[in-house]
Amino acid sequence: MQILIYILKRILQTIPLLIVVSLISFFIIRLSPVDPLAELKLNPSISKETLQKETERLGLNKPIYVQYALWAKAFVQGDLGVCSTGESVAGKLKERIPNTLLLTALVILLTWLVGVPLGILAAISWKTPLDRMLTVLTSIGMAIPSFFFAILLLIFAVKTGWFPVGGLTSYNFNEMNLLGKIWDITHHLILPTTVLFTISLAGLQRQMRANLLDVLDSDYVKFARAKGLSEFKVLYKHALRNAINPMITLLGFEFASLLSGAALTEYVFQYPGLGRLVLEAVLKSDINLVMASLMMGAVMLVLGNLIADILLIFTDPRIRTVNSKQ
Amino acid sequence: MKNNYKDTSIIKQLMRDKFTLIACIVLFVIYFSLLFADFIAPYSKDFSDRNMSYAPPSKIFTINENGKFSLPYTYTYKREFDPEAMQVDYKLDRTQKYYLKLFPRGEKYKFLGLIPCSRHLIGVAPEGRLYLLGTDINGRDVFSRILFGGRISMTIGFLALFVLFPIGLLYGGVSGYFGGKVDMLMMRFAEAVMSIPSFYLLIILAAILPSNMTSIQRFILIVVILALIGWAGFARVVRGMVLSIKTQEFVQSAQAIGASRLRIILKHILPQTTSYVIVAMTLSVPSYILAESGLSFLGLGIQQPDASWGNMLKEAQEYINILYRPWLLTPGFLIFIAVLSFNLVGDTIRDVLDPKSKVR
Amino acid sequence: MKKFLYVLLIIILVLFALKFFINADIPELETLKTAKTESLAPVKLPASPKTVTINGIDYLQSQAPVGGFGGVLVASTIGEGPKTFNPFNTKDATSATMADTMFDGLVATRAKDGEAVPKLAKSFEISPDGKTYTFKLRRGIKWSDNKPITAEDVVFTWNKIILTGLGNTSTRDSVLIDGQLPKVEKTDDYTVKFTTIKPFAPFLRILSAPIAPKHIFEPAVRKGEKYFQSFWSTTTPPKNFVISGAFKLKEYVPAQRIVFERNPNYYEINLNGEKLPYLDKIIYLIVGDLNNEILKFEAKELDTISLRGSNVGRYKKREAKSDFIIYNIGPDTGTMFVAINMNKRKNEQGKYYVATKKQAWFNDRNFRYAIDWAIDRQNMVNNIANGLASPLFTAESLNSIYLNKKLANGHPKDLKKAKEYLKKSGFYWKNKILYDKRNNRVEFDLYTNAGNTEREAIGVMVKQDLEDLGMRVNFKPVEFNSLVNKLVNSLDWDLVIMGLTGTPLEPHNGKNVWYSTGSLHLFNQRPDGKATDRFDWEVKLDKIIDEASLKITFNDRKKLYDEYQQIIYDEKPIIYLYSPIRVIAIRKKFGNIFPSPLSGVTYNLDEIYVKQKVKSKK
Repeated sequence: MQILIYILKRILQTIPLLIVVSLISFFIIRLSPVDPLAELKLNPSISKETLQKETERLGLNKPIYVQYALWAKAFVQGDLGVCSTGESVAGKLKERIPNTLLLTALVILLTWLVGVPLGILAAISWKTPLDRMLTVLTSIGMAIPSFFFAILLLIFAVKTGWFPVGGLTSYNFNEMNLLGKIWDITHHLILPTTVLFTISLAGLQRQMRANLLDVLDSDYVKFARAKGLSEFKVLYKHALRNAINPMITLLGFEFASLLSGAALTEYVFQYPGLGRLVLEAVLKSDINLVMASLMMGAVMLVLGNLIADILLIFTDPRIRTVNSKQ
Repeated sequence: MKNNYKDTSIIKQLMRDKFTLIACIVLFVIYFSLLFADFIAPYSKDFSDRNMSYAPPSKIFTINENGKFSLPYTYTYKREFDPEAMQVDYKLDRTQKYYLKLFPRGEKYKFLGLIPCSRHLIGVAPEGRLYLLGTDINGRDVFSRILFGGRISMTIGFLALFVLFPIGLLYGGVSGYFGGKVDMLMMRFAEAVMSIPSFYLLIILAAILPSNMTSIQRFILIVVILALIGWAGFARVVRGMVLSIKTQEFVQSAQAIGASRLRIILKHILPQTTSYVIVAMTLSVPSYILAESGLSFLGLGIQQPDASWGNMLKEAQEYINILYRPWLLTPGFLIFIAVLSFNLVGDTIRDVLDPKSKVR
Repeated sequence: MKKFLYVLLIIILVLFALKFFINADIPELETLKTAKTESLAPVKLPASPKTVTINGIDYLQSQAPVGGFGGVLVASTIGEGPKTFNPFNTKDATSATMADTMFDGLVATRAKDGEAVPKLAKSFEISPDGKTYTFKLRRGIKWSDNKPITAEDVVFTWNKIILTGLGNTSTRDSVLIDGQLPKVEKTDDYTVKFTTIKPFAPFLRILSAPIAPKHIFEPAVRKGEKYFQSFWSTTTPPKNFVISGAFKLKEYVPAQRIVFERNPNYYEINLNGEKLPYLDKIIYLIVGDLNNEILKFEAKELDTISLRGSNVGRYKKREAKSDFIIYNIGPDTGTMFVAINMNKRKNEQGKYYVATKKQAWFNDRNFRYAIDWAIDRQNMVNNIANGLASPLFTAESLNSIYLNKKLANGHPKDLKKAKEYLKKSGFYWKNKILYDKRNNRVEFDLYTNAGNTEREAIGVMVKQDLEDLGMRVNFKPVEFNSLVNKLVNSLDWDLVIMGLTGTPLEPHNGKNVWYSTGSLHLFNQRPDGKATDRFDWEVKLDKIIDEASLKITFNDRKKLYDEYQQIIYDEKPIIYLYSPIRVIAIRKKFGNIFPSPLSGVTYNLDEIYVKQKVKSKK
């Protein structure tokens, strides 16, 4: 019961958050001198009347607060509106979200599978050359500008012919059998995943290392050691569980940061994901599309955090008291 | 929060690590050359010879055509368009040798921004061309532009931090110290800013920069934008720290004496976060350098004709350039080296100052 | 051990440094010119398709050599992909290409000379007074859902869609003559008559607009404008499309590709009487930028690509040994130019769009001449286009059939001449800095869209050229959409580097740029759209544009369009820079490739086939 009330409270808390997010985003975008109809206007064969019609359709001739009110009203009713190209925003997002989720989930899974063990390894060999090597190696991954790395990998793909050059599926995808389809998608995913994985590995590895070091330094671990438990038991039975807990809270943020961090990578790899869509929409000031995706990003972040918090309530009884303090 | 190391010992500890030592030297060399860029660069950032677009690096010879050692010299290039192959070729023009000279007279500049001067570290006679790293599409010396562009790329992160940290510290400090409704409101706002995916916020903000700005204004505004992205996360951490610090005895005793709230925040609480701040600073400089390059990749960062490593790299990323004009890639490797060095130094500082830090 | 490693490292470093510094000056042998590649013999285009009647069906018969059936052609489209598949809603080039693949118009452009020839129509006649166009349709040809294509469809398309202004109104606007729309009537099931109020030269070519299947579109049209906007959108299942063209949409994967398959009902046959097209599928990959396109071509994911700049050299060198062939089809229809803002109006707040001192410069013809003479077009061509472009001086592109050849060669850069022009208008120099006669330092902004390497490089060059005249130029690349906002709405710009696409066949399409009330009349945009305060030459241009559209014969029109180019050349509100040369690579496996400067390489998708079992010649 207590938990339910807590969850409800958290959900209620997110409403003002979403309002603030939408206000900030909407006004920043609309105050920009960007013209959503730029491409049309620069096309000599587009007539004035067509332009006029477009302006009215997008509501660009109304004052900005009216535009916001209209947008907010539609949003609350679940209508995300249409893009500046006339396609439905919801439809566009529906096309892209699964692709982005696929990529993001894959990257998160991989970074956890590799980053957590590496973090543990670094922590238990603290202050040894191994720890240092691990830090340096992960730093290297973090230091390459993602788009540059992506371009180099693409060229690698061209030169060797081992990987497809961007995209998600081959053109004869629909004629493949299930196994072929799975292989095709995997084949396309390898390079973008590599880029995002290399970039986000360092963060997770460091976090895990820091958490574990923190826990290993705590009184109860010292106590367990004093009790004469084997180092193995201390580490895996006591320390690790407590070190991983704070990592769960990170999931939400990690997801959100990947969402935007993947934009450039998606762009270079021509990956049909959300990142590329939003990037193009922002550059064109396609307000409905940008707003919908920003709001979705925010909702996902909030949801992620909420789920993480709830998970924590179950895994870590201490948290309840902390929460009631806040 | 143990802070009982003396400065000297920190530096010693830093230097003990080989990687950190190398990283420090690399950073020092980079910043040193950037500081004296006017002097070291053979040309100014805008000097262009339009007959030399995409010229390869100058060949420097130390053995002359008779097989004898000679002072280093170079030739200029001759450009030829082969209509059959539809291609531009550069050939050495062996009619005139240009010897490399130390401290030749060149374009005028102000040494360190103060002393008018026209000597450069190295160069050739004015009719010759010394392109250590080739030229770009407009026939500008890549080596010189790297030096001038580095000034922007390597300082943009620091400047952003100087804008961001006071804001974040104060915001987090006030929020954490006052607690209650204030805290709640302030944190909700910070969270709202944080929940807008940062890269999109960055490009939205960069896209609204008014277009009629001078390059300096643009640079400053990009700094401010970068700071606007980062402050919220930082403020949140500071607030968390302040929450725990304020329950400590010395704060309570200060309250008992009747010190003003602002004074307590500024004098007693915030100094306790110093080591975190230092670590966070060194570890976040690289992300700003990368952010600038990302912005420039999209054409929203520092604009032509100004140089930054980001916008130089953008030019390099075309397939044909990577294959045939690899010298254009130098800014990419410099970004890589600089960011790596910052990371290594930052990691070590963190281990020394604050081994259990949660800073990524 | 450790020490040894360090020493080794240092030795390697030193050796490396020495390697860089110690270079022997041995002249490289003059490399032999690369073996000549098969130089491009002028391709002989096949005769135009004829109409043959078999079993009462009026087929179009391709006169191109007979090829084999089957195979796929993978092309690309740059950008975000199509926004609609409704041919009447298209507002961007990609969507229009997709519509053209699926729909035929009554007439089509002949690749050889740009003449309009019958396509969906069997034949047409123009009355002697030039006002009535009578079209005979093909008997027995069918939509892709087996319903016959008749005069009903044509009349419906024109009267209910195009002329009512549904979707994109541009076609309607272009046939508006003195405020009057043409009349479209059905004479019998296979005859349609178009009547215009005056003879109107561009009209015939406008009739290449797609014809819609009435039985599909009528319900949509009835539901009104809003429904029509989303009719046949990118989310419509492809099986709902009913088309007349050679290829039908099979699958659209957003942000990845568009797949078309053969339309078995297509009305074209080859010389053996077999139904075309040859290809099973046409695929357009959606690629984000030029760089990605090149990479995909290199990786053989693409079959054809348009090459630019230094890529051409690379491909040319490899052509002989590779599986592709390169066609140089001459200057592009696009133009690159510097426009000057001559606007003297005030905005709604009563502020001048352009500061008064700048107005004086920009409206001074000598000032514009000076800019023109100072610009180094040849070096732009050499550096930026890697030698693969031609300097441009006229408003019509170099491959236009209406090009004024007298002006085409223009003049080289001449700083002295530029300075003379400035002196004539009272400009003077002090310490190499240019001042006008009211002692204002000459300083202005030069814009272009950021992120476009080519235009940024042009900007840097123009800036330097003008600074040689003592002007101070603030070069400002601005994000594309913001820039356009400046150009057409806020109008607060000085000079801009821009490019526009054009057509080599119909100068009338540039009306929006040159007509004084046009929506793209950049250099003197009238926000209210009223033809007020026209310069004398603007009045003249308006008149020529109107007159030329009413002339029917090519020679009459040519004379007028020559004059129009002369006026622009004399006044220079827009200073043209260069047009790139189009070079296209396509895999050798394709047959029936007949490149044409007017239409490109893959315009005849219905005739192109894949050569059987030909891996490489020789």
